[in-house]
Amino acid sequence: MGELNKWLETIKIAWVNLTAYKINYIIMVLGPSLTFFFVKYNLWTAIYKTNSLDMIQGYTLSQMLSYQVWTLVVGLIAQSYNSMNIAVDIRYGKISTYLIYPFDFWQYHTASFIAFFMNQIVISFLTLLALAFIGIITLPSLAIFSQALPLCFLVALLWFVVMYFIGLISFWLDETWTLRVVFIMISQFFSGAFLPLEIFPQWLMDGIKYLPFKYMTYVPVKVFMGTYTGSLSLAYIVVSLWAIAFALGSALLWRKGVKLYTAAGI
Amino acid sequence: MHNSKYALRTHQLTKSFRSFKKKPGIKGTLQSFVKRDYTTKNAVDGFDVTIKHGEFIGLLGPNGAGKTTLMKMLTGIIVPSSGDIEVLGYTPSERHKIFRKKIALVMGQKSQLWWDIPAMDSFKLLQKYYEVTDQNFKNRVEELSELLAVKDLLHIHVRKLSLGERMKLELMACLLHEPEIIFLDEPTIGLDLVAQKRIREFLASYHKKNNCSVILTSHYMADVEALCERIVLIIDGKNSFDGSIHEFQNVLGRKKFVQFRFSEKVDNKASIWKDLDPEWNPAGNMVNLRIDESQLREKSQEILQSFPVSDFQTDKMPIERVMNTLLTRPDLVAKSAAQKAQQQAQQKNKDKA
Repeated sequence: MGELNKWLETIKIAWVNLTAYKINYIIMVLGPSLTFFFVKYNLWTAIYKTNSLDMIQGYTLSQMLSYQVWTLVVGLIAQSYNSMNIAVDIRYGKISTYLIYPFDFWQYHTASFIAFFMNQIVISFLTLLALAFIGIITLPSLAIFSQALPLCFLVALLWFVVMYFIGLISFWLDETWTLRVVFIMISQFFSGAFLPLEIFPQWLMDGIKYLPFKYMTYVPVKVFMGTYTGSLSLAYIVVSLWAIAFALGSALLWRKGVKLYTAAGI
Repeated sequence: MHNSKYALRTHQLTKSFRSFKKKPGIKGTLQSFVKRDYTTKNAVDGFDVTIKHGEFIGLLGPNGAGKTTLMKMLTGIIVPSSGDIEVLGYTPSERHKIFRKKIALVMGQKSQLWWDIPAMDSFKLLQKYYEVTDQNFKNRVEELSELLAVKDLLHIHVRKLSLGERMKLELMACLLHEPEIIFLDEPTIGLDLVAQKRIREFLASYHKKNNCSVILTSHYMADVEALCERIVLIIDGKNSFDGSIHEFQNVLGRKKFVQFRFSEKVDNKASIWKDLDPEWNPAGNMVNLRIDESQLREKSQEILQSFPVSDFQTDKMPIERVMNTLLTRPDLVAKSAAQKAQQQAQQKNKDKA
């Protein structure tokens, strides 16, 4: 009971903290996603129009746009955790307080992640409703939601553990933002956030089947669109295994790294 | 309640940091990619100290002497390079949850409270972390907010408070769980004199009432004089002095501190000043001297006769001045330690005989 209370109270505080600066928060989370979306929206419209194409790899213009809209939504639910920078906590000595409290640093960040995810659910639903209202998207059935949302949660969790893992590397390196950016770029490319994966050659698709990327955008988007034909359980399994692998890796990094911690700045 | 004999004990505690030197400019940056000259520095160097339950210790030393590094090791934030520490029977760097529940750390330079929410919300979080019962928590908040006079501040966003107000709440936050040992790292830094005094009074009465052990670092000698029974001086990472505040005052010998004011600028090259450690003011019409008790009458008379003295006063060496002297001349501590050891050895020989 005591442990659960610690978690609940931390989630509460993290939620309050997130919403303390609403404008800042919206700019941070919604800004990049919307910009990215409008760039892609205009780009694809231009590609189809200037080349007078009806179809690219099985996608009509409206299907392509619909794909990009769902990419935006999935990104909001599952990927916004990539803007969290845990390395800063280590570099500027913020983890010291959580080395003293009887509640661990990973517990604190996991609780913050849960608060963040709940907040993202609210934001993405509002975005979804707005998009449905202006008519560029049709709301999927409850059955589809019940398939896609757990997958989105797993993907969000994977993003969180990967960012946490990279953050911990700053026990050794001063700055880890390049690692974050590299990971984000690679994953966006292979996850289908730029292009639907049908556009890639088959051998590449086969090659990345057991990597997590494909399941981070492409698969959830296709599930939301109701056009996913692959195995959903494979998606769950691959994402879970990668999340577990990074969590174990993080535990190892933490055990070794915390010995090097110098608590600079305090 | 205590399952260990001491509140805290270290043996040959050492922490070394490795860093590399980078020469300025692009050339230096490129060079540092290829070849790095690492230097290793012992921030804390073979440090020994033993502290009993309920003691109030002043940990003193100049900037960079290793005070904060020592505090970080004692609280388990950083891991020692070598040596042993035992705090309340635990090894801090193992960071056992029970150990973490028994200690508290307040850092004057760093806020532990959440910036964007009222202190009360942070307190509630801490209540859960430390598993304080609702009733205890209520009583504790009531009692501490009364003592610190912060009742009206509990529901204000922390970022809107003044430094002094915030510090009181920081103290309150770290005392909610009734820690057995409290580490205070410069709790009065940057505060005005009135606020410093209030914090000091609070700490004194809190310590008296709760009988916990306290380790305090501060650059303000007034803090130390008002609170600490015992002083530990750390210079270059070593325990350079460890004794009562009374012994500390006499560390430079039984000398009196005398101040003379003159009606005009006087000759500060005169031979009489030579052995009296003079400290002149810039105008040259005031001097602080240290005069051996046995010579006090004689020297004072000589000065009164030879110079146009307008005023003078005498005092014991104030701790502030001892500290200043020691910081500029650490060799004096070594000397006094050597003397002490010699005296003890002589005493032993006598006892044997």
